[in-house]
Amino acid sequence: MQFTLKQLALAATLAVSFSAQAQKANVIHWWTSGGESAAVKELADAYTKAGGTWVDEAVAGADNARAAAINRIAGGNPPTAAQFNTSKQYHDVIAEGQLNDIDAVASKEGWDKWMPKPIVDAIKVKGHYYAVPVNIHNPAWFWYSKDALKKAGVASEPKTMDEFFAALDKLKAAGLVPLALGGQSWQEWITFYSVLLYVGGPDAYLKFFKDHDAASVNGEGMRKTLTALKKLHNYVDAGSPGRNWNDATAMVISGKAGFQIMGDWAKGEFGAAKQTAGKEYGCFAGFGPKAPYMVAGDVFVFPKTTDKAAIEAQHKLATVFTSPTAQVAFNNKKGSIPVRTDVDSSKMDICAQAGVQAMKDPSRQIANPDALMTPDMVGAVQDVITKFWNGNQSVDDAVKALQGAVKG
Amino acid sequence: MASSQPARKKRAAAAQLALLPMAITVLGVYIGTVLWSVRISFSSSKIFPKNDFVGFSQYERLFATERWTVSLHNIAIFGVLFILACMVLGFFLAVFLDQHVRGENVLRTIFLYPYAMSFVATGLVWQWMLNPGLGIQAAVRNLGFPEFQFDWIVNQDKVIYTLVVAAVWQASGLVMAVLLAGLRGIDESLWNAARIDGVPRWRYYLSVVLPQLGPAFGTSFVLLAVGVVKVYDVVVAMTLGGPGNASEVPAKFIMDNLFTRANVGLASAASTVMLLTVLALLVPWWYARSVQSRKLVHS
Amino acid sequence: MSAVVERITPPVTAPVQRKAVHRKSHFTPARLGLYALLVSSAAFFLLPLYVMLITSVKPMEEIHLGRLFALPSSLTFEPWVQAWSAACTGLECRGIQVGFWNSVWIVVPSTIASIFFGALNGYALSFWRVRGAGWLFGVLMFGAFVPYQVMIYPLVRTLATVNLFGTLGGIVFIHTVFGMPVMTLLFRNYYAGVPIELFKAARIDGGGFWRIFFQLMLPMSLPIIAVAVIMQVTNIWNDFLLGLVFAGRDNLPMTVQLNNVINTTTGERLYNVNMAATVLTSLLPLAVYLISGRWFLRGITAGAVKG
Repeated sequence: MQFTLKQLALAATLAVSFSAQAQKANVIHWWTSGGESAAVKELADAYTKAGGTWVDEAVAGADNARAAAINRIAGGNPPTAAQFNTSKQYHDVIAEGQLNDIDAVASKEGWDKWMPKPIVDAIKVKGHYYAVPVNIHNPAWFWYSKDALKKAGVASEPKTMDEFFAALDKLKAAGLVPLALGGQSWQEWITFYSVLLYVGGPDAYLKFFKDHDAASVNGEGMRKTLTALKKLHNYVDAGSPGRNWNDATAMVISGKAGFQIMGDWAKGEFGAAKQTAGKEYGCFAGFGPKAPYMVAGDVFVFPKTTDKAAIEAQHKLATVFTSPTAQVAFNNKKGSIPVRTDVDSSKMDICAQAGVQAMKDPSRQIANPDALMTPDMVGAVQDVITKFWNGNQSVDDAVKALQGAVKG
Repeated sequence: MASSQPARKKRAAAAQLALLPMAITVLGVYIGTVLWSVRISFSSSKIFPKNDFVGFSQYERLFATERWTVSLHNIAIFGVLFILACMVLGFFLAVFLDQHVRGENVLRTIFLYPYAMSFVATGLVWQWMLNPGLGIQAAVRNLGFPEFQFDWIVNQDKVIYTLVVAAVWQASGLVMAVLLAGLRGIDESLWNAARIDGVPRWRYYLSVVLPQLGPAFGTSFVLLAVGVVKVYDVVVAMTLGGPGNASEVPAKFIMDNLFTRANVGLASAASTVMLLTVLALLVPWWYARSVQSRKLVHS
Repeated sequence: MSAVVERITPPVTAPVQRKAVHRKSHFTPARLGLYALLVSSAAFFLLPLYVMLITSVKPMEEIHLGRLFALPSSLTFEPWVQAWSAACTGLECRGIQVGFWNSVWIVVPSTIASIFFGALNGYALSFWRVRGAGWLFGVLMFGAFVPYQVMIYPLVRTLATVNLFGTLGGIVFIHTVFGMPVMTLLFRNYYAGVPIELFKAARIDGGGFWRIFFQLMLPMSLPIIAVAVIMQVTNIWNDFLLGLVFAGRDNLPMTVQLNNVINTTTGERLYNVNMAATVLTSLLPLAVYLISGRWFLRGITAGAVKG
């Protein structure tokens, strides 16, 4: 059969437009601030360049977005992809058989070979891959205002918890707020597990979060942590309860406060205030050069569907999200670090570069609590910690309460 | 007199037909979903509802959870203070506005606008204003009163009162509107008659107006009570349940367990307990009201 | 029937304006005291609005300094422009205006439907004896207390089976259903205050169920309709969770964009834009409050008893 050039061209156009429509992806996520929007644009652009169509369904507030995704799955109108954290949040959804696996993409891209183990543990369930990671966030960074520290006479970054307390004392003496904290349950939670990781040590941390070992709660690591936490509370100002984390960062930005313990997303606020890492503010992730580096972040899951076009879109998303160009472009804007170690990190700020260096050492990688405990148990522990932080409970009573929470 | 048997039945049929949507809603939506959620409270549902049966274990866990018992305690205090303050403030505002004041339209909108605004932002403003380092305490101290203290919001024993203040600010305008509508339905000639008899204005309000506002007060009370049971936004915006768990409320407990903690079974148990409490309070009141004679027309 | 209506309608068409000022010009102490109380109440109510407005015209650097009540040292209206048309709400950065018409399409039919059914139910419950109606009303009242988050899952499944999940019709249905308890209560209690003689007279004149409703009761209900409109417009316009779950992507109300502007987990918070966006979103309900003023009239039923 012979076809004219026109007919061939027409057929080609139809084929392209059909496949473009066929890879329509409805993506639910919670990136709605200015900086986050620029970051997700990198992902959307990469997906469009690869031939797909991105339909954005942003819902601010991680809880809202996840609830919207769950309700859509329940209502029979699931999105193509939905954002979750590198955690156990979606493991129940997997157990109910409501997620598609992406083993095809994982094997093609060789995820087993280069993806960091804490991430693989979170996204691989019963031998199948159910989520694609897009970044690595570390919620346990220390941020400090160079001005404030200079004013208080703190010469260098603390290398141990004792040096940290000494620095806090100097800040207090200088009339500044030593530790800027937003007194919300989840921020107190970050403070708790950061101190547990850096002071109690990775062993105590893992025994508690991973093994749920009640005996270890009464061990030295946890007791040291709880005592340190009690002491830390004295360095927080009276207006702390209820404060948003951004307002605490603002205190560091303006030099009113010395330190803040917060995730690396804090760089967004520093950047919005036109401050640069290493110039007006400094950062370190734990005490000393071998400090454990916490691996948290965002992943996308793929709700169950048998529609061929949708499955194609899901696989394309997974491939695009982990491609080197998209990883660099997205993470530069997001303030997190890429999941791949084989990419160019020279354009990142010094904090991110330090993170990339830390990730190169697998012995330093450690999973975040959400990846080790179910959301229910995380909540139970959070309740205990916020009560301990805000009250006069003794360390013994807190130990007992924690033991009850991990028995779950 | 003019109605005959068939015509009487037809009129009743029209009324029944008119009430059909309400009946469907009540039975299908409300009773159906409440029964479903009670069923789920006996299951081990996590992120999706599950059909298994675990007896009363969710309820046992519920009442062993300190956060839940604190929330019940809080809602009781909040409920009493909030309803009282809104009714009193709403009534006085309505009465004042009923006095032929200038700019009634503007004043009414001033009292009502808090109701129009999303509590996410207004709650944050209240949090800032009540924060000791940032808001009213700091401002008054700057004005020259260094000993002034107003830090209820960071105080675990007093934080619930700050929620009452913000909630009253938001809701009393609506109570005012309901009572004002009721006041406007009262015949002006009654006041003229009272005036001629030499009755002072306040006495007139006490003995003539107040009784006639019965239904309007009833409406306001139910609106406020519903608001109390459902209070959520103000807590999330102002304190997120803190400091610690001091300002936790049942609706927030339910929401957190339903979504964040993927604990549908526990959330359903909590919701069932709340509904049983409401039932326990409503049924006696309903019985008392139905005993009163009602002016119903016999069809 | 029409004779009764004629006797009733004149006050509606010629409303008693409160401009009859003969009594008003005395500056008695009581009068001054009244104004003082009103003004100080107004101050309490306006204080948060003051903070919101000045925060919305300050640049973020000034907000971070934390002087909450201070007037702006550098005034900027950029946050307002941003909130309306340029704030990021996800991939899009077009502000909250995107959902404005969606909200209107949701609010108008939902308000009309819920008020209509509320008035109808209230009327039927107040003046007609239907078997089991009182009991049904009691359960409906109980239903008002049910936390609607718990009802979401079964409603999602139900609407999905009738193909209404994620549609405009679905969200209007949801709002009508959730508004029914309070609306019914509002009208039932209002009609309880209407003199029964009016109804009896209308029946004697030969009025049937629907005629009395449309020609006598509804016109007489303007003050309570005003309250009902205020409540429903506010609740439905400000609703977030139900719109997010049931409206479907093409009908998402403005509150979803508002939430995307204001709320964030780990992103930067621009408080000035947040405040501006909140005030902008509330302008429609506020306009409704102002307009509804003319319905808070006195004397709708005045003279009816004597007549």
